[in-house]
Formats: sequence, C-alpha cells, structure tokens
Amino acid sequence: MTPYLVGGLVVGSVYALAALGLILTYTSSRVFNFAQGALAFFCALTFRELVVEHGWPAVPAALVVVGLLAPLIGLALWAVLFRHLTHAPPHVRLVSTIGLWVAVPPVARILYGHEEIYDRTGLGPQPPHVYRPLGVVVDSDQLIVLGATVAIALGLVVMMRATPFGLAVRATVDAPVMAGVAGIDTRLVGAATWMIGTALAGASGVLLAPLRGYQETQFTFLLLGAFAAVVIARMHSLVAGVAGSLLIGLAQNLAQSSPFERVLVSVFGENSVLQRGLVPSIPFLLMLVFLVAYRGLQRERFTTDTRALRPSTTVSSEEAVGPGSRRRRALPLLVGVAVVLVLPEVLSGRWQAVVAKGLALAVAMLSYVVLTGQGGMISLCQITFAGIGGALTAQLATAWGWPVLPSIVVAALVVVPVGLLAALPSLRLGDLYLALATLAFAELVQNLFFQLERINNFDSGVRVPRPVLGPVNFGDDRAFYYLLVVAFLVVALLVLNLQRSTTGMALDALRSSEAAAATVGVGIVRAKLAAFGVSAFIAALGGGFYVTYARIAQPAQAFNALLGAVWLAVVVTWGVRSVGGALAAGLALAVLPQLFSEHLSGGWLEVPTVLFGLGAIALAREPRGVLVQVAERRRERRAARARRPAVAGVS
Amino acid sequence: MTGTPVLAVHDVHVRFGGVRALDGVHLTVPPRRIVGLLGPNGAGKTTLFGVISGLLRPQQGRVHLAGRDVTGLPPARRSRAGLARTFQRLELFEHLTVREHLSLAWRMRRGRMRLFADLAGLTARASRDERARVDELLELFELGGVADQPATHLPLGTGRVVEVARAVATDPVVLLADEPFSGLSAEETRRLAAVFGRLRDEQGLAACIVEHDVETVLELADLVTVLDFGVVIADGTPVEVRGDPAVQAAYLGVAT
Repeated sequence: MTPYLVGGLVVGSVYALAALGLILTYTSSRVFNFAQGALAFFCALTFRELVVEHGWPAVPAALVVVGLLAPLIGLALWAVLFRHLTHAPPHVRLVSTIGLWVAVPPVARILYGHEEIYDRTGLGPQPPHVYRPLGVVVDSDQLIVLGATVAIALGLVVMMRATPFGLAVRATVDAPVMAGVAGIDTRLVGAATWMIGTALAGASGVLLAPLRGYQETQFTFLLLGAFAAVVIARMHSLVAGVAGSLLIGLAQNLAQSSPFERVLVSVFGENSVLQRGLVPSIPFLLMLVFLVAYRGLQRERFTTDTRALRPSTTVSSEEAVGPGSRRRRALPLLVGVAVVLVLPEVLSGRWQAVVAKGLALAVAMLSYVVLTGQGGMISLCQITFAGIGGALTAQLATAWGWPVLPSIVVAALVVVPVGLLAALPSLRLGDLYLALATLAFAELVQNLFFQLERINNFDSGVRVPRPVLGPVNFGDDRAFYYLLVVAFLVVALLVLNLQRSTTGMALDALRSSEAAAATVGVGIVRAKLAAFGVSAFIAALGGGFYVTYARIAQPAQAFNALLGAVWLAVVVTWGVRSVGGALAAGLALAVLPQLFSEHLSGGWLEVPTVLFGLGAIALAREPRGVLVQVAERRRERRAARARRPAVAGVS
Repeated sequence: MTGTPVLAVHDVHVRFGGVRALDGVHLTVPPRRIVGLLGPNGAGKTTLFGVISGLLRPQQGRVHLAGRDVTGLPPARRSRAGLARTFQRLELFEHLTVREHLSLAWRMRRGRMRLFADLAGLTARASRDERARVDELLELFELGGVADQPATHLPLGTGRVVEVARAVATDPVVLLADEPFSGLSAEETRRLAAVFGRLRDEQGLAACIVEHDVETVLELADLVTVLDFGVVIADGTPVEVRGDPAVQAAYLGVAT
C-alpha cells in the first residue's frame, strides 16, 4: 500500500501547486483560468527544450522557466487579457480563458515541434535514484516534487500572512474598491497575482513531466485534478485547495493499487470499461459529490458575489438590438443559407462532404444559441450531448434496426433527461460551477460511456445507415446535403421562435437580473432547465445527423470532451446570440482545418485551433462576436449614406 | 374600514444580535389606498420591507396578504400571490425593450411558460388583452415614446418609471415601492407621484411606498406610518402625522 500512498501524495502535490495558482488568481480577479493546465504544458515543454535541445543544466533551466518566463507570460496575459476580464460579462470571463486553453498547446507544438516525446526529462537524475528511508520506497523525482511543493506552499503562506504584499492582496480580495481607496495599487496586485499564478502553473508543469511524461493529455489531467480541488476549496480556501488536491491524488493512486484493482476486476470483469475508466474519472466523481453536498449547504454563498460590483460597462457590453433591426438581423442568415444551397453546384465532392459536416455541426451549434446566447449559461458538455445523440442513433438504427430519421429524433429525446441531470446539481451555484460541472459530466461520459465496447466498437465505431424516404435515397451525398440544410433550417426556426417567445423573454430577463425576474414571477430554475433541456435536444440532433452523414458513430473521437472547449470558443467568437453565428461556427469548424490540411503541413496544421482560441480571447474586447461587428459596420455605413444627402441638401 | 386589508403586518419583531431592528411593528394597507412608510435612517424601513417581501424571517409576528397568512412563504411564492415590488437600485432587464418588460410581467401573472407553444412560435405575438393592457400602461406612465427601446440606455428617471410600470403590469394585490423617487428630479418626482395617484383612483391600486422624501409622501399617501428605532411612532392620515410631536422630534431631533 505505501508506494501508492507516496505516489498519491506526490501527484496530489502537483495538483496542489496548480490549484493554488487557480485560487489565487480567481480570488483576486474573479477570473477562473481554464488555461492553467495549458500554461503548465507550455512551461514544461520550454523547460525540456532548454535542457534537451540547448544543453542547459536542469536546475537553472527550471529556475529560468518558473521564476522568469512563467511570470512574464502571466504579466503579458494580464496586460492584454485578464485585466479586461474582471468587469466583463460572466460568459465572456469564462470563454476567454477557455479560448486561451484551446490556443496555448498548439502554439507550444508549433514552437517546439510536435513529434511524440518519449523521454521524461526532469530536475532529477535519469533514471531516478531510489531511496528507502524507514522502509518506504521513494525515488528522487518524487522527493523533488514533495520538497518543492512544501517549499513553495510555505513561501506562499509566509508571503500572504507576513508581508505587506500579502496584506495588500488580501485587502484587494475582500474589497477591491476600498483597497483602492486605502491607497493600494490594485492593478499592481492584480498583475502580481497573475504572475504568481502562472509561475505556479509552470512549477506544476515542470514537476509533473518527469512523473507522467510530456503528452498533452497528462497536463489535461493535471488541469482537471486541480479544477476538482478548487471546487472542493469553494474557489477561495488555499488550505482546502491543498487538502483537496492531496485527497484526489491519493484516491486516484489507491484506486490503482492491486488490492483495489482485484476488487474492481472481480466486480466488473477483466479490462472492463468501468475498471479502466474509473481512475481518470475520480476527480470528476469527487467534484460532483462536493457540488451536490455544497448545494445542500449554504447555497447563498455561491449566488452572492461578495464584490457586488456591477459596473456600468457590463450594461452596454451586450447591447440589445434596436427597433426594426430584427429583420436586418435575418439577412446574414439568408445570405448564408443561399450560399449553402448553391455550394454543391460549384464544389467538388470532397469539399461538399466538408461543408455537409459543417452543416451537421451547425445544428449542434444552435444549441449554444439557446443555452448561452439566450440563457447566459456556459456549458462544456454540449459536445457530449451530441456524442450521446450520435451513439444512440447508431444503436437504434443498427442494433435495433429502426429507420434512421426516427432514430435521430428518439435519441435526441432520450438525451433531454440526461441534460437535465447534468445541469441540476449546479444551476443554483452560478456560472462557473455550472461550467465546471458540465466539464466533469463530459469527462465522465467520455471515460465511462463512450468507451463501452457496444458504443465504441473497439475504436472502430458503429456503422450507421443512410435513410431512404420514399423515392429519395439519402445514400446519395448530394441528397443528404440538402436534407441537412432542411434540418438546420427547421431547428433554426425553433430557436428563433423560442427567442421571441415568453420563455425567450424570461431567459433574457434572467440574464440581466435574477432578483427582478423572480419578482415578476419567472421561475428561475424552471426557465434554466427549459433552456438546458431544449439545448441538449438540439445538440443531440446535431450529433445524430453528424454520424448519419459520416455513416459511422465514433463518439469517443468525434465528440471528445476536450473538443467541446473548441466548439464553445468558435461559436462564441462568431456570435452566440444569432442563428447565423451558429451556421458560421459549424462551417468554420469543418472548413478551416480542412483548408489548412490541404495547402499546408507540419506545424501549420495547428493554426486553425490557435485561431479558434484567439477568437474567443478577442471577446474580452468585443463580447458580441464577429457577426455583430460586421452588422454594426454595415449599419454605420448605412447611417453615413443616410447622412450624406441631408448634408448636401443643407449646403 | 374599506374591507379586508390587502396587506397586514402584525406585531413583527426582528432582532439582529442584540439590536432590536423591529419591535412590535404593525402596518396595514387597505384596498385602494397608498400607504407611506416614513422614518429616518436606521428606523427599520428596509428591515420591514424585507419581512414583507419574505427576504427576512421575523422572530415573531405575522404577515397577511389579502387575508391570507404568508409569513412562512418564500419571496417567489409571495410574488405569485400578488405581492409586487420595485428595487431601490434599478434592476431592469437590459436585453428587453420597455414594452417587453410589461409583456413579460403581464404573462407571468397569467400563466406559466408553455415551452412547446413557445417552440412552435405561438407566443411570439401578444394576445389582444395583453396588447390592450400594455398599451394602456405605456400611456399611463408616459412611456409610449420609448416603448420599443431597449432598457439599457434609458435615463435613470425613465428607468424608475419602467420599474414601477413593470410591477404594476403584474396586476398586484399590493405594490411595494422601495424609494421610487430617489435620484429623480423634482419634475420627474411630481410626474411619477401623479401616476401613482391615477393608478389608485382609476384602477384601484394599493401600494406601500418607502421614501425619504417626506413632502412627496405626505402629499401622495392616504395613510402614513412612521418608524423610528424599530417602533411605530405615528400612524394616521398625513395631516395627523404632520402635526405629531413625536414625528417632528424624530426628524428634527427636538427633545420631547
């Protein structure tokens, strides 16, 4: 047992460093850094580059990366991004750092090459020395991690408790305005905490690499473990963050210990999905358990933001649409649909397939228009709803022999209660907890459901037949393409109807002021659940059409939980309030990667992902998305034209 | 009196630690009457408001809404039972137009959301009743000119009027207005007070208005209750209250 305890403490320590950085930056700026793991990845790769490619000794390289480079990255990101986010609308605050999470790893691979890395370069000797103090087996890498973590944690505690800087940080966290009045430069405090937070990410990255290697997935696990710890710490307690991290590390390692594994194997069978999927799922199971427990405890703690700061900038940040412009707003959609209808005439078969894929994705993107655009909620599991919809469509159509089109609809209906279940524990806990809970849900489904042999068919997927409707055989790609256009238009109509309906108004009202909405009689949980249910249905429809077009359902690959962050970044970039934005986002997701892979190679293949991430980051400046900007420019030009004759008349 | 009071607060006690914020307070709002709730800072007005709207639980005492005991009900249930309120700090729906504020309030009072009808597009247009009532309110509150503007850019004075109009659009049994005149110019105050008066006279609105502005309340209200240090120190018509020495002492600091 002891090796597992030691291993658990070591991994938990690395989680703890990342979690400390998250808590520090969140409490000081109310911005939750989804990119913490990505920054750890970037720093670890930089460290390895210095040591392996440039022959630096390990310790100076680590000090330069963690002590100099990481804080500088933190400072730069604070200056261009985080600084602007504190007063941004909640969904922009979340989506911008999700964009960073999407953009940073490909940048690292473009810089440092993306061959698989098999070495485990770290601070210690390779292979590590093994020590046996008091009969406990510890290797040098583990000792370095434990030592560094204790030193850094103690340093943080001393800094926060015993230095003027720590006092300034604590004052700023409690009451930013008063701290400013009292003469504390809160901008300096903000910049400093982001530098420290990024340095902690860097430290966790450099320490994790020798334990787990340099694959990006390992850093994603680091991030997700730290997220769970931060939820356990309720976003603010540094001590609870460390304790939660150690708990998760221990639980994960003990679950891998041989006695426990024997139990699992005897219950679930050798090499079953539950046995394999359990260990990576532990952070999420713990996260969900704590979310449910916290919901029972003092729920007002979460709903009231202690800062109660709602500066007027948030009001104008997402302007309502003026009178008469509703009709004009439909214009980009009409243009888009017209283009899509003509495309098969001009495109080659291969490009027609790409656009068709984009149309199916666009249906799924419409789910964000309801949930995020109208309801103001951030979900990271829309892709999971799409995946479940696709997987169930395949089961109904292939294993049960149902006709395909009814299968798609029934599968989507089945996903509705699943969606409600995913949202229910955290609806009252606020935006950030909802985002994290949906991420946890997505990972659980990814690990436990999508990996089932029945669903994934040993990674080769389940075949899905194309529908035949009377004389029309949708086995023909062109025919199915038009079916997808119709499907998109029908779902888009539902979404537009919802936007203009009572529920749509109620959701708009909720987004501005839950208190006022409640006083006019809007049932808050009911309205949010309605939005979640409808959006789960729409996402699942998109997934069903996607797998039917592809003729195969491979949810673990095509609807990977982490790809969900990219989906969100793209749709919010184009404009999550409008149906046209969803169309553009779906097409961009399909077309851009194909475009780059046809004409470029190597690191350039990563560029679309970087662009997708940067788009979401740009929201910090323009929260309404690309299409709104384009529309605004059009309106300005029109206004200028309208002014010109008037001026001429005067002169 | 004029029938069962629409709002009756009996013997309410609220203590925060050792502080007696409210100490045996009574308040009655008869139908078709506007009651002004006055008191210097710290008198307990906001606490009483919290008790009435359900945000605070009193240690003792009861709240009746149109004869029904609502003391144990949460705020949302009370609002559905006909208790409307406005906020001291503007809480408008920045994504909705002024007309939509009133439509939403009107619809919420008359039935819940019907999701499938919504998806089918059946609720995009207002019913004839809704349109008539919303138009009537827009005219009454002089909001016709901004009806189709989003609430985001409204000036403060107009915003306050929209808040009151939204609360009235729920057809409340009783309206609680939390400092509806704060931040308004003298002219805006006069016009909003006139709207309150017309609503009472023409539509039978009953309201309880918390306000610092003593003169406006004494002119507008039918009845006035004055709180000081958690105790009702005066209760009666504006004329009676105006002459009450205890009130003058509380406001002017004269020893009695």
